[in-house]
Amino acid sequence: MNKEIFSEIPMRTWNWLGVNEAVVDRDLLVESQNLDIKIEAGHQEKMLVEYRKESCGTVNINIGENAVLKLTQLQLMPQNCNHVNEINVVLEKKAKLQLVAVETGAKSFASKVNIILKGDKSQADVSLLYFGDGDRSLDMNYVLEFQGRKTVGNLEVYGGLMGESQKIFRGTLDFKQGAKQAKGYEKENVVVLSSGVRNRSVPIMLSGEDDVVGNHAVSSGKINEDKLHYLMSRGLSPAEARKLVLEAAFNPVLELIDDEALRQEIDSYIKERLENE
Amino acid sequence: MEKLLNIKNLQVTVADNEAEDASKEILKGIDLQVNKGEIHVVLGPNGSGKSTLMNAIMGHPKYEIAGGSLEFEGEDLTELKTFERARKGIFLSFQTPEEIPGITVENMIRTAKQAVTGENIKVIKFRRELKAAMKELQMDESYAQRYMNVGFSGGEKKRNEILQMLMLQPKLALLDETDSGLDVDAIQIVSNGVKKFHNEDNACLIITHNTRILKQLNVDKVHVMMQGKFVAEGGPELIEKIDKEGFGFLQGAE
Amino acid sequence: MAQEKTYIEDIERTLYDIKNVDKSKYKSQSGLTEDIIRDISARKNDPDWMLEFRLKSLEVYNQLSLPNWGPDLSELNMDEIVTYVQPDAKMTGSWDEVPEDIKDTFDRLGIPEAEQTSLAGVGAQYDSEVVYHSIQEDLVKQGVIYTDMETALHEHEEIVRDHFMKLVPPKDHKFAALHGAVWSGGSFVYVPEGVHVEIPLQSYFRLNAAGAGQFEHTLIIVEKNASLHFIEGCSAPKYNVTNLHAGCVELFVNDGARLRYSTIENWSRNMMNLNTKRAVVGKDGVIEWVSGSFGSHVSMLYPCSVLKGENAKCEFTGVTFASKGQNLDTGASVIHCAPHTSANISTRTISKAGGKATYRSAVKVTKNAPYAKCSVNCESLMLDDISRSDTLPTMDIEGDEADIGHEATIGRISDEAIFYLMSRGISEDEARSMIVRGFVEPIAKELPLEYAVEMNNLVNIELEGTMG
Repeated sequence: MNKEIFSEIPMRTWNWLGVNEAVVDRDLLVESQNLDIKIEAGHQEKMLVEYRKESCGTVNINIGENAVLKLTQLQLMPQNCNHVNEINVVLEKKAKLQLVAVETGAKSFASKVNIILKGDKSQADVSLLYFGDGDRSLDMNYVLEFQGRKTVGNLEVYGGLMGESQKIFRGTLDFKQGAKQAKGYEKENVVVLSSGVRNRSVPIMLSGEDDVVGNHAVSSGKINEDKLHYLMSRGLSPAEARKLVLEAAFNPVLELIDDEALRQEIDSYIKERLENE
Repeated sequence: MEKLLNIKNLQVTVADNEAEDASKEILKGIDLQVNKGEIHVVLGPNGSGKSTLMNAIMGHPKYEIAGGSLEFEGEDLTELKTFERARKGIFLSFQTPEEIPGITVENMIRTAKQAVTGENIKVIKFRRELKAAMKELQMDESYAQRYMNVGFSGGEKKRNEILQMLMLQPKLALLDETDSGLDVDAIQIVSNGVKKFHNEDNACLIITHNTRILKQLNVDKVHVMMQGKFVAEGGPELIEKIDKEGFGFLQGAE
Repeated sequence: MAQEKTYIEDIERTLYDIKNVDKSKYKSQSGLTEDIIRDISARKNDPDWMLEFRLKSLEVYNQLSLPNWGPDLSELNMDEIVTYVQPDAKMTGSWDEVPEDIKDTFDRLGIPEAEQTSLAGVGAQYDSEVVYHSIQEDLVKQGVIYTDMETALHEHEEIVRDHFMKLVPPKDHKFAALHGAVWSGGSFVYVPEGVHVEIPLQSYFRLNAAGAGQFEHTLIIVEKNASLHFIEGCSAPKYNVTNLHAGCVELFVNDGARLRYSTIENWSRNMMNLNTKRAVVGKDGVIEWVSGSFGSHVSMLYPCSVLKGENAKCEFTGVTFASKGQNLDTGASVIHCAPHTSANISTRTISKAGGKATYRSAVKVTKNAPYAKCSVNCESLMLDDISRSDTLPTMDIEGDEADIGHEATIGRISDEAIFYLMSRGISEDEARSMIVRGFVEPIAKELPLEYAVEMNNLVNIELEGTMG
């Protein structure tokens, strides 16, 4: 089959780790649809992108001065599909982006998000939820590039993995020289539910500017036993308790989804998978 | 009475974070005279400029003096750097003390004491004094070897501030909400520390929201600050009035 | 204040920069050919298997390409590097017999003095060969072996053969292969079961010849329930040509054993330091790395710990200081291969004056390592806006019983912290200096005293706070 490099991390590392690039079927890239969007200066917009059927896509966005965009992207592909998606955003002065991304579908997917905080005081808040089960493969590459002064970028990632799923999450905060007083924060919390999982995380921080504050943190572990115990002492079955704990873990992202029906859909999608475990 | 701090028509601005190249006036003409042996209290709602006053006296680079004068023992302070002011005998107990990893409490205070006194401080004698002061403040001795404020609770940080005050023996102590966030017992301990520190040769300028800390101190003067100005001044009786009625009765004074 | 820059004085290098006249007895031709390898091997009187090993390594070397990640190595021209420089001196157990100029070098570095005061044994390598080795009598009686690799190869051939480049095979990467082909010198330590070497052993490596490579091999075996602290120091005078250091360190920490391996690397700024260090740790064993990287032009150094036995532990503490003209790519890797293994990685990096500091790490938890625990903490301090600081950790975790945490921060000295210290009467420069020293303190306190002093000197702040 024809393979092609879809995404790469901004700085390479040991090849044996297998995280330097994501390789996907060329066909997927050929089929990919482009969407170009410009948010005019001062405007406030909300957008929803859903991937449900065999489709791949790229969304290119420019957010004008003082404009605000809330972009929600849901990937709820059927379990037998392969999928790629890409988001490229450039933020002008004082522009704001809130990106809520949910990656719960497809047999195998690769996504990449590239956000450029170009204008001074622009801000991007990214919340990502991913969930893997069965023998699914999840590949994500998120880059926040700080160019402007006093830019702010937050990347919060909540993940759950079970079955034999494999995941790579790469998250980069890249402070360019001149991005004075920029602030970047990245965190990834992964809850691992079964022993067959392979979980790879690459939290990268690059800096050519000293006048910045950058933090990243990753934690990966089992579901919190104390919480489970507490819930079970209130009469919940282990499965119910796990569902509840995981739901709580995902809530920071779920509650950002405005559409109640969609939120319910994702919630029950995950619950269903937990039950079939 | 000997003048210690003498402030006249002090105006202070701070660089405005939102607007480019603009600065915001916070203090709009403050007059304040603190003499040796006195305790002054500054009361006022949040955001009225109390902390700005403290930081301006200490010389925080973020705050710019736009007008008026600021003298300590007859000497102009405005051109002096923060550490030079400290060496003159001014001490600020921070509202939120900084955490400084890698520097132990003991090392920090000893270095500061050497800097302030200009003398080489003997380790053994210093340790003895430090231990005694820590005991006074009910701080565990092990804290001397911990890194400055790293992993300290709010109350421990405040006690560490008072510890430094006791060890450095400044002429003028500025206490910026040293009692906030403390429980009743801790307030008592901090208050004892201030009481022990204060004598006729030094002075305290205290910002507080909680008048409990003042109970066992003989307050000489009370200043009420609102929107960058002193809107009322008086004796300790003012504390009681504000305790009962809040700042409401002063609204008209603006 | 926001505009002010911190100037930190570069490490005082004069001590290291005194170069001796190159009086070497023999130098191999520059470049790398089978003839050169045969020649080195013959001169070293290798057993046949070692010659074969060298030639095989050369083959691997020729097959492998340079890494496609990490710092740019294009400045390195192997055809110009002299791989073997034999000093005009025999290995001896007495400083009096070491030739005057070589002895002077080590005197200036304080090695003989340290030997008397705080070390149980010393090895000193000059260019490609070890010129001095000694060990305290009572350790010898307990069966401790501390000698140069060449002697070990002849006197303890079986042990060497069983361990040599088994942990770092030549095919690992190009410079491991190079090392396998041209290695020379280095230290061999064997600590028998249950023996505790209370006072550290130290090997010091000095590269004097210009345009040369140093390829020393360190092989340490700590048997069951034994313990050792080993210190490695490195330096070289500055030349205008590129020198290469491609050493290899293999540490075998058996069940219940404990090994602390401390290094302060202070190569001159023309050195390409491409060093490979690896430890394998048995059940209940502990490896502790303390690693300071200050010198060299380019470094790639990531000590690796293979936690092979149940409950094996790794503690890694590292500090890297990159200044003008330096690209220091350092870090660590840990491979958890058994249940209940644990690792702590804590690093500090500082960059200034255009220096590049990269923290790179890999934490791998295999399926066979349930209940593995690993926590990584790395902090980077940048002292100006012309330098670079990059952090690139990777975690690869299999199974659901691992507990892995990673934290990193990047930034500069906080203005608020400076103000706080200044409000206590401490001058601005002293405040900056205190904060930087405080920043590396967690590492300094793990170092042997003389190294801690050396490091503090290094982090001396110049009293200069000019408007930038």
